[in-house]
Amino acid sequence: MMNYLKSENYRLLRKKSFYFTTAICFILITAAAFILYYSGKADSNFPYATRSFFYSNVIGMGTQIIIVAYLYNATLTGKDLSLTKQAVSFGISRSTIFWSKLILTFSYFLLVCIAGLLLMIGLGESLFTHQQGVTSKFLIASFNMVPMVLSGFLLTHSFKMLKVPDIYNVILLIFIYFFSGDLLRLLFRQISGLDEFYKFAPSTQLTDNLMSFMDQSVQVDYRYWITGAVIGVIVLFIGAAKFTKQDID
Amino acid sequence: MNAVIKTYKLTKKFKQEEIIQPLDFSVEKGEICALIGKNGAGKSTIFKMLAGQLEPTSGEIHLFGKSGKDMTQAQKRMGFMIETPVFFPDFTAIQNLEYFRIQRGVAEKKRIDEVLKTVGLANQKKKKFKDYSMGMKQRLGIALSLLSSPDCLVLDEPINGLDAEGIIEIRRLLMKLNHEKQITILVSSHILTELQLLATRFVFIKNGVIVEDVSRKLLEEKSKKYIQLQVDDTSKTAQLLERRYGDIQYKSLPDQIITIQNHIEEAGEINRLLIDNGVFVREFRVESLNLEDYFFDLVEGADEK
Repeated sequence: MMNYLKSENYRLLRKKSFYFTTAICFILITAAAFILYYSGKADSNFPYATRSFFYSNVIGMGTQIIIVAYLYNATLTGKDLSLTKQAVSFGISRSTIFWSKLILTFSYFLLVCIAGLLLMIGLGESLFTHQQGVTSKFLIASFNMVPMVLSGFLLTHSFKMLKVPDIYNVILLIFIYFFSGDLLRLLFRQISGLDEFYKFAPSTQLTDNLMSFMDQSVQVDYRYWITGAVIGVIVLFIGAAKFTKQDID
Repeated sequence: MNAVIKTYKLTKKFKQEEIIQPLDFSVEKGEICALIGKNGAGKSTIFKMLAGQLEPTSGEIHLFGKSGKDMTQAQKRMGFMIETPVFFPDFTAIQNLEYFRIQRGVAEKKRIDEVLKTVGLANQKKKKFKDYSMGMKQRLGIALSLLSSPDCLVLDEPINGLDAEGIIEIRRLLMKLNHEKQITILVSSHILTELQLLATRFVFIKNGVIVEDVSRKLLEEKSKKYIQLQVDDTSKTAQLLERRYGDIQYKSLPDQIITIQNHIEEAGEINRLLIDNGVFVREFRVESLNLEDYFFDLVEGADEK
């Protein structure tokens, strides 16, 4: 497994798309910060040149961040999957391939997320006026988002490894992280005991997280981690089980 | 003899179609075995099952005597090139092989230069894979299969896309590896004349079934010269031949064709005999059976009938 990890690391570090995607994300964050900053300078009544609004862009874009996670996974795993047949021919198990690719892409994605978060805080702290407690609340809200984003990443990884067409992957991501709450509320509203189930839906939790951040009442919430863990474990279990049995052609 | 590759009742179904029917097949150490069949005969499916890319529907594969989970260790002693070689398009040949060198735990970096030199890509090693010609891609595929110094090579269409010079080079390389390093080779190709020059054994496959397994020696015996003639009266010709040559071996074929397997050196006399006795000889040829003819008779000819 170590050799496979090392070889994948060699590959990832030489992929231009990895640097390109990262650069695009960081440029967009920086651009957003400066647009808000200069808009505030130009118009003294401009209400959005604040630290809390700048941070809320991240907290409010959970689904978009998950789509970025999808793009990262697609960039780092996507086309190169055809080469796994060479590894399989050499006796490297499918299980090793599945988990090694996950570990590596996941590590790099986390690294980029942390760097992005630090960039956000750096820009927020230096460009916008101080607001008591906003940064710590932003960190708490970001912490609550972590399991959602990671579960989206794991789902994408499993789908990519199983060569599920991209369109289904994107549709499922949008459904889970954007519409799942509304659907569960509709389905279970008449069923006593399950009528609150929608609160565990990723889309509901992402919205709740944003709302509590906006009114500065956000707190670390274990329910986000339960939902994220459930999705993550299920998709990894299915993904690993199916990948180890599938033909690599 | 030690079997490097052995299959027991190996089958593969795709949906309900049985692509490979129970297959008992082996490749012995030191052999160059050619797997021959039409497109869709099941050659690549067999190769992919040997490489672990496809799971057999039933049956067993033994590589170097290992099967099941132990087979992954045996796979490390094998070099595979199945169908079109796949590499990272934006990587150079060196970068691509470096990726696999790390993955396969090949300690010495200089091994990359060695295999590139072996396949004649030493001067193109800094070129990106996407800029390679088909032939160069094939060579790089062979280089990869050699990277971990295997004891057995499984090559599916290794000379596909190579020019004449490249084909000769690769044939010489494979023969050299077989003779000098005793590397066992299982190979397929559509260029049967090349296989005839290379292989020591020929396995013909049709619709997932082995229809003939013949050694080079046996093929050479079967490839002896024969006389083929087309006449207006086959029964009169047969009578004349039997009367003159008591031990004559001949076959009557459709279209008034007769083939004679012996007395080849007396071809001129046979021709005169027929003409002098009023047989109209439309065609008189001394032929020899090559692998292509053999394949045609065995696989294609059977289809036509």
